[in-house]
Amino acid sequence: MASVAETAEFLQTVRLFRDFDEPALLALTARLRERKLRKGQVLFREGDQGEEMFLVRDGTILVSKAVTGKVEQVLARFGPGDFFGEMTLFDRSPRSATIQAESDTVLLALDRQNLTQLIEVNPRAAAAFFHSLVQVFIERLRASGELVAEITRWGLEATGLDMESR
Amino acid sequence: MGTGGHGPRHGVAVTDTTAPRRAKLELLVRRDDESFEVQAVSSSAAWIQMRPTRVATDSFELAEVPSRVRGEPSYILKNLRTERFLALSGQERFLWDQMDGNTSLQEMATGYVLKYGQFNFDIIPTLIRKLQQAQLLTLEPASRLRRVLARNRQQRLLRATELTLFALERINVSSRRVQPFFGGLYRWGGFLLFTPTVAVLCGLLGVLGIVAAVRLWQSTEAIISDFGHHKIVAAVAINALLLAAVALHQLVHGVALVHYHRRVREFGFTFLHGIIPTFYVDVTDIFMASRRARVVTAISGTVVHLVLGALWFFIALHTSSGFLRAFAATCGIIQFKSFLLALWPFFFIEMDGYHVLVDALGVPTLKSDALAYVGGLLRGASPLQWSREAALYVGYVALSALSVAGFAAFFVAVVIHWTS
Repeated sequence: MASVAETAEFLQTVRLFRDFDEPALLALTARLRERKLRKGQVLFREGDQGEEMFLVRDGTILVSKAVTGKVEQVLARFGPGDFFGEMTLFDRSPRSATIQAESDTVLLALDRQNLTQLIEVNPRAAAAFFHSLVQVFIERLRASGELVAEITRWGLEATGLDMESR
Repeated sequence: MGTGGHGPRHGVAVTDTTAPRRAKLELLVRRDDESFEVQAVSSSAAWIQMRPTRVATDSFELAEVPSRVRGEPSYILKNLRTERFLALSGQERFLWDQMDGNTSLQEMATGYVLKYGQFNFDIIPTLIRKLQQAQLLTLEPASRLRRVLARNRQQRLLRATELTLFALERINVSSRRVQPFFGGLYRWGGFLLFTPTVAVLCGLLGVLGIVAAVRLWQSTEAIISDFGHHKIVAAVAINALLLAAVALHQLVHGVALVHYHRRVREFGFTFLHGIIPTFYVDVTDIFMASRRARVVTAISGTVVHLVLGALWFFIALHTSSGFLRAFAATCGIIQFKSFLLALWPFFFIEMDGYHVLVDALGVPTLKSDALAYVGGLLRGASPLQWSREAALYVGYVALSALSVAGFAAFFVAVVIHWTS
């Protein structure tokens, strides 16, 4: 188990919290819960209900989405400093993908209640948090567009379909 | 759930416009024990497994155009629905004939090399592009059974059958990282299988097995009656042992590849056509070796059944009456039957003996060509014009038909004999 100071130091490297001052980081540290995953262990599955977002402290996480039967598409791979699972805190929808550990992993969990309290207590930190969040969402949208283009290209190449001369 | 952070690192790489490359998908495949494996699948790997299907026979017309200049004919392919025409070379015609929905592009390329002794890397993608533009390729269920099932999906029973077949067909436990395993098998004794001493020993064992079988034949009825009330147990055990023998058969094929310094691409278990449980090994790399290597690889697997059959007959011959004698004798019969079936090329099935035959003849599509030719004769679509090829086709179909009839007659006779 990491100390409060170590956790606060780690949080400074997380993009969402990089504009937090020290008291805000220490307050956040107290609200986080550590969660360990063994290699291959599933954290949650697509369709599950969720109340928490997660920060990757150590290890690698795979994000996948069901395609057919036992086959899933790998959407992303997250390492230390990355975060995931925040959407369900805002729209209360079921999880949109499955999360599993690619290696032994340590996560920090922040639930909805603690996030709400953090926002209410420290509006300046909350503004910094949401600003960073929007930037990440924009990057994620761009990456999703690239992924769609890549999958389309995969399909065209795999079927030999020549659209240019049709 | 959201996924974010320092920018998601996607399973696929971002499009790189500076250098052409094949697209890749990263797929996560779950196992039954809740573990998983991540596999990167390139579009080229999917492409070579594609099984193109030509449109129905009443939707196209193929005409031969003789050429006095080149000495070899070309062909005109017409789409009867769109009125589009395509000119095909002899090589393209060969590939077109194989686009039956059952043959992968990889298998077509192998057949092409066997027939023409070389490979033109552009010919298959170019032809597929031409055929797609002329709307001469389609995607339909491959077998007639599948077509019937697909047409009658509204009936619950047939829908369930189709789903069951589909599900069973998808069961495939295999690995593509098997070369070290087969290399180990070879080093730890597999190499002995390819020595003259072992070949002679197998031959001797086979002869002695036949002698034992003949001696047992006189008391077949007494032996079979030894099963008593354990017929179902015996049937299950015999089939399980047969499956194990098939696995051994495939392992020996793989070891043969190592012997000839070729690569075993895949080994696994699946349900053939969704019905028949079987093991398989991908030995396509042997096509790049000598003809002797191909023949030895094909035959080596079948010898497993000869040896096992002989051993079972020995056990039966030297066991006093009882369940074990009946079991051993039946296993011996089934192994010898498997040996003959695998080695005998005239049976309408493409087993090891068939591959040796088509390799020797240099006609990799013998079965489909022969069936098409004889089918045309029977329908009156084409007149009989004797040539070397025609004789080969008619001979193949006649011998295969006789073999199937003979086997069926023998089987019926045995059943009648036992039940009476």
